[in-house]
Amino acid sequence: MSLALSTLLYEWRRYMAAVIALALAGVLMLALSAMFIGIMQSFTATIDKSRAQLIILSAQARSMGGGPGGGGGAVPKRVVPLIYRHPDVVEVQDLPNDFGQFFAEGKPNPSLVNIMVIDTTPNGVTLPDDFTDDMRRAIEPPYAVGIDVSSMKQLGVNLGDQAMLNGRSVRVALIMDGYANSQFPNLVMSRQTQRLMGRANDNQFDMLMVRIKDVKTEKDIVRVRDELNAMADGQYRAWTKDELSTATIRDMMQEGILAIILGFMNIIGFVIGVVITWQTLRGAILANIKEFASLRALGVSIGQLRGVVMELSFWVGILGIAASALLMVGIAALAKSANIPMGFEAGSLIQTGVLLLLISIMSGALTLGALKKGEPADLLK
Amino acid sequence: MINPLRKKKVEIEDAPLPPPRPEEVGKRWAIEARGIKKSFKAGQVMVDVLKGIDLLIEPGEIVLVMGPSGSGKSTLLAAVSGLMKPDSGSVIALDTNLWKLPRRKIDRFRLANCGFIFQGFNLFPALTASQQVQIVLKFMKQKKAARKAAAETALKDVNLGHRLRNRPDRMSGGEKQRVAIARALAKKPKLIFADEPTSALDGENGNVVMTLLRKMAKEQGATVLCVTHDARLATFADRIITIEDGLITSTNADPALFAHHH
Repeated sequence: MSLALSTLLYEWRRYMAAVIALALAGVLMLALSAMFIGIMQSFTATIDKSRAQLIILSAQARSMGGGPGGGGGAVPKRVVPLIYRHPDVVEVQDLPNDFGQFFAEGKPNPSLVNIMVIDTTPNGVTLPDDFTDDMRRAIEPPYAVGIDVSSMKQLGVNLGDQAMLNGRSVRVALIMDGYANSQFPNLVMSRQTQRLMGRANDNQFDMLMVRIKDVKTEKDIVRVRDELNAMADGQYRAWTKDELSTATIRDMMQEGILAIILGFMNIIGFVIGVVITWQTLRGAILANIKEFASLRALGVSIGQLRGVVMELSFWVGILGIAASALLMVGIAALAKSANIPMGFEAGSLIQTGVLLLLISIMSGALTLGALKKGEPADLLK
Repeated sequence: MINPLRKKKVEIEDAPLPPPRPEEVGKRWAIEARGIKKSFKAGQVMVDVLKGIDLLIEPGEIVLVMGPSGSGKSTLLAAVSGLMKPDSGSVIALDTNLWKLPRRKIDRFRLANCGFIFQGFNLFPALTASQQVQIVLKFMKQKKAARKAAAETALKDVNLGHRLRNRPDRMSGGEKQRVAIARALAKKPKLIFADEPTSALDGENGNVVMTLLRKMAKEQGATVLCVTHDARLATFADRIITIEDGLITSTNADPALFAHHH
């Protein structure tokens, strides 16, 4: 084991402040974006969990955000037969999305809910993949709706209760798990119920969900997507689920105020991380400065000692990343229990990890000056 | 070689040294320092710590530099060992004109040739005795197996064979200083510099440390320059140099002289 690693492990208390600073800096950089991703994912749960492989948006859509058809306008009905032209497409369904005012009996004020409309046919393309047969049947009857377990209190209803939704009487027939939404509680209903409530639009769709046959690998999906797009002639654009969710998150993160806040958080996290890590490392090096000076006396060059300090800062960074991950898992669990789902995306996780390592390396570089205090001649009385 | 343990008439020489005596000319010295001067700024005034010192040490000699505190003995050690550049004068150590070299090369010279033992033991708290010794060898680019074996040998030589895996917090002061000696000697230096090596130790441990230092230096044929004001160390030296007020007062003082003082 190297001198740097042994020192870090043996004198871990000394380096604790740096590791905690890095962990907190990581949380600062990640938590807000994770919360926004979580909020967004709670709105798109039915898309993420649908049994479709491809999603059709309007040709101009850049992501899922920004209104119907991904901000590029609605997808007209005539697109549906165009999709069916592809030999591998077996099913195309639209996935409606709606909002509604929800009144529980005896509750004075309505709650705004996000309505997810799904098909209740067995193995329907819009049926979420975590729906069991019992769940599917529960919302099959007219005016039967499902809500997430986390929103029962907010909506003021229990299983079997009657409530008013957009002026119609509905019955809570299903309590789901994993559909939490901290903004507007998610409510799920069948396409038939939506039709009965008079809110179906059969001419224009937000998006189309496409199921393709014989999917073996991700490559098959990508191939069909490319072939569909080649046939599109400017009338639509096909996306894979991953592609769409990445684009949506990126779009959201770059959006005005959010991007500014996230950028600001990153800068604050970076500066605080560097200052605390630097000062901690400096303190730790100065605490061992006589030992370093004695190595200098024995002829170890200042460059070699700098290598030790840089290695030390690297390991502190690795520990900081681990601590940050641990803290983030805890925070995500806490948030989940408080009905604030968090979402994590590979890109921002990697970015945060790289930033934390950069913080520690930079702190190490700033600490190098402390080695100058280790003049071997000072060891002589 | 001059043995100070033999009773010899004390000669108090006038400083600075006279020009080289005939027998000194052409002789090869382990350390040949000439005209060393060094001043420090103390507040507003410059203090001359070394006022032109000549120091000649034969290969394999164990030389004690003694003098009252503030006499400049540690500064002299720093100057001849390549740790602190004197204001003037030259140091030729092992045929290398030290202060003509760039700093990097002086580092390399020390790495290859010098062992240091300090008053404080300066051991890394995180490392075991074996690792303390190995770390220096590692920076000398020795292979793992070789440096492990060398560390074990060096620690056994200072009677710490049973302490290989102990960290400094589990060792006594005497043991720590012995680890420091093993660290300094494992790389088989030709020059060993010691600065008050026993002042943090009790008499018994001081004796053990000095006996080991003398034994190992003699076995390895190393030259030792040891600075101390501990008169008890006089018996371990081949020769005693006394220094006072920045000038050498004797190049071969009688050890008995120091016994008297204490």
